[in-house]
Amino acid sequence: MESESLIIRHAIDGDERALRALWTRHAPHIDMVVRRLVGGDADTAADIAQEVWIQIFRALPSYRGDSQFSTWAHRIAVNRTLNALRKTRRLSSMETDVQEDSAAVEPDHDRSFVAESIEAAAAKLSPGARAVFMLHDVEGYTHEEIAESLGITTGGSKSQLFKARAKLRSLLAHLVDGKDVGLSRKDTGHVAPAY
Amino acid sequence: MSHLPTERLAALVDEAPTPAELAHLASCAECARERAAYLSLAELASAESSRLGKPLTTWESLAPALVADGVIDDGRGLHFRARHVRRPWLQAAAAVLMLTGGVIAGRWSAHAPAFTPGMAVATTTPGDTAGFRTIQEARTAQAQSQSVYQTATAYLAQHDTTGQSSDSPSAMRARLAALDRARDVMGEALNEAPYDPVINGYYLTTLGQREATIRRLNTVLPASMRMTSY
Repeated sequence: MESESLIIRHAIDGDERALRALWTRHAPHIDMVVRRLVGGDADTAADIAQEVWIQIFRALPSYRGDSQFSTWAHRIAVNRTLNALRKTRRLSSMETDVQEDSAAVEPDHDRSFVAESIEAAAAKLSPGARAVFMLHDVEGYTHEEIAESLGITTGGSKSQLFKARAKLRSLLAHLVDGKDVGLSRKDTGHVAPAY
Repeated sequence: MSHLPTERLAALVDEAPTPAELAHLASCAECARERAAYLSLAELASAESSRLGKPLTTWESLAPALVADGVIDDGRGLHFRARHVRRPWLQAAAAVLMLTGGVIAGRWSAHAPAFTPGMAVATTTPGDTAGFRTIQEARTAQAQSQSVYQTATAYLAQHDTTGQSSDSPSAMRARLAALDRARDVMGEALNEAPYDPVINGYYLTTLGQREATIRRLNTVLPASMRMTSY
């Protein structure tokens, strides 16, 4: 199999076969990153994924090989997706959500909803909470990196993350807690501690 | 001691519990179970990072955008072929095919009467390779043929109004999309059989018609919508 560095060299020269080879190899991962950050809107995700790939290939001449191509492309995918979400105002209320400590999750109109996967459950989160959860718990970003990417404080990032986890724990109860399926903390009647 | 709050339990996935919290977790089965659930959630999330999905993009939709953006070298097929074709008679054959095929297709696209190849290329046929005495001579003829073809195509696109009224912009866009697909297919075929004169001819004809369609399209679109590439 042709080495990736050779493929990248050809791709930089505009060789369509090399560009396609890179896309074929990495699209399943890169497009998944976009899908996770965008949530349930498949059309928007597809549009953003297209923008992401154009951006990756535009930036290809600047790729120096200091990191794996997949890592480099992943970073572009995250940044481009967050920018696109900002443009569509999906993240516009991010800072307000955090500063006011208001609901980081969207109102749960369907309490009987049981998610089959992290992706499906996260689609029920607010865009800001979903972005923080996906970046931290799935993509491995630090709170400092998330704060910089989203223009919020590290405290805000943590707050969003914990709220998101709490919501997801409830939605995915059948996966994370086999005994108490669908039973949330609210249902147990526990009292918040004094400290 | 009261139970640990939900968000604190969520935080304990990656934060260490205080001694008081640790003591509570050791004695409270409910909070311990909740903490375990959050750890399971973290494991699910971690596993999610390596999950792959069906791509949201398709190369068929991405490639035209990359061509328009200049990322894909649109003349790549020509350059690729030039590096691999070393037989002058094939180059000459490809040039002739390009010229005849292109002119036929050009007339066809303009809804003109059927064209007889001999009219335009009476002095050169694919079997006439003996007419070239040197490689340089053949290459020069090839370059001239390409130039003549492109000039003729451009001229026809801009001046030959025969049948243009029946070519709506949507029909031309559909043709352009079809030509893009044909170009991709012929480009791949060319990679597999770079010496094949038939494939060479079709490939070049496709490129020529694609260019002609863009030019024709520009004659019917408002100035603000005109295309320089597709």
